[in-house]
Amino acid sequence: MIRGLWDRETVAMMLLIAIFPVVALWVMAEGLEAVARLLFFLVVAGVWHVIWMLARAQPPSIAGAMTAICLAMLAPRELGLVALLLSTSFGVVMAELAFGGWGRNVLNPATVTLAFMGFGYPVAPWPDLAVQLGWAAAPAALIGMATGVIAAPLVVSTVLALAVGAVLGVDYAETGTAVAVVLVLLVCDPVASAATRLGRWLNGALFGALAAAFTAHWSGAAPVQAMVSAALLASLAAPLLDELSIALWVRRRRKRFG
Amino acid sequence: MAADPRLRSALIAPLVAKNPITLQILGICSALAVTTSLDTALTMAVSLTVVLVLSSLIVSTIRRHIPGTIRLIVQIVIVASLVIVIDQFLQAYFFDISQRLSVFVALITTNCLVLGRTESFARSNPPLASMADALGNGLGYSLVLVTIGAIRELFGTGTLLGLQVFETVDQGGWFTPLSLMLLAPSAFFLLGGLVWAVRSLLPEQAEARETTPPEVEEARP
Repeated sequence: MIRGLWDRETVAMMLLIAIFPVVALWVMAEGLEAVARLLFFLVVAGVWHVIWMLARAQPPSIAGAMTAICLAMLAPRELGLVALLLSTSFGVVMAELAFGGWGRNVLNPATVTLAFMGFGYPVAPWPDLAVQLGWAAAPAALIGMATGVIAAPLVVSTVLALAVGAVLGVDYAETGTAVAVVLVLLVCDPVASAATRLGRWLNGALFGALAAAFTAHWSGAAPVQAMVSAALLASLAAPLLDELSIALWVRRRRKRFG
Repeated sequence: MAADPRLRSALIAPLVAKNPITLQILGICSALAVTTSLDTALTMAVSLTVVLVLSSLIVSTIRRHIPGTIRLIVQIVIVASLVIVIDQFLQAYFFDISQRLSVFVALITTNCLVLGRTESFARSNPPLASMADALGNGLGYSLVLVTIGAIRELFGTGTLLGLQVFETVDQGGWFTPLSLMLLAPSAFFLLGGLVWAVRSLLPEQAEARETTPPEVEEARP
């Protein structure tokens, strides 16, 4: 995707700019500890990107910073150094670099890392997100949609699905913040989400429906854990939804033009 | 053994160079299912090797008498009979492990590895060569199973064969058990990583590319 100014790194930069409101409020809420965590994940992800550049001549991407931000914000607390290194390396290498780098991966490396931490170390407590992060997700989504790096159908259909849930009586008082932050940081990743128009609508609706269902029926799960699981499932379904949308399009074309 | 180099290579080649699991991706269903701990992996590996060697011997001995049209049925009957014997033996002497292996010993009957070796090798080779080939393949399978079983048990619980190797945090040590290792996906990850590692070390095992990228000429010399 190189069209004038728009190459892979521009998209990554735009994403970083878009999520800036969330990051800024997060650093303000958690202070120096947040910066230290972010630095740790930046170094781990960065080292892997450099190793793959040297070993496979894969250009490192600024998207590694995006992964580090997601992890610093959402990873379970009180994990040991070995656990953090192991799961971050797994996510960054297996979900992103092994596929050929950012842009060719199927799943978001941060989502995979968080799922790995959740399954691997189920007792580690998930973070509580400050409420203002949830509100900061709104300007983040707006900046992303305005610059074109976040697909509007994804966000709109998620909100619609959540609204349907609310009408059916789901109360988002506890999970609302996590839904908003996970939506902006993980689900709207332009690489790991669906890429066709119908696929995007379905992908967002699926995430919204899963988020509503987990809110209502998954008792005992931390909000972040439930929403990361929803993001993982929605992102796993994204290629299928794209396939579906393309198949429908081909059928429609065939009907119309024979 | 050393007398005949062909027997020797039939025995050694399947260990790494022609490993049934990492190269041919055969028999991975059981390799994924029974490797949560080392003792089940070992039991499964021994059972499969015994069944493979004995069925190769029998099929190879009567290879001139098996009608070609029903050869698969004959082979499956032989394999299934041996599997029943092994299953009964495990239930008699290793009841606990047999319970944990549940259906997977019985499923050796349908293991692609067993039928693959009897069909492709034992059916057209003399008994001794067939047994060497079967033993080699059984050991190659065992090697992978034991490796993955050991990794999963060690990092999943900190033990090996039930003996504590790493002191876990609950016992006052340093090791945090990685519960993911006890779940099925970890076997996929480990097997995939193993295949990746083997093919990086032995590039001739890698499959040919499905498509070749076009040669782009340099714009300027």
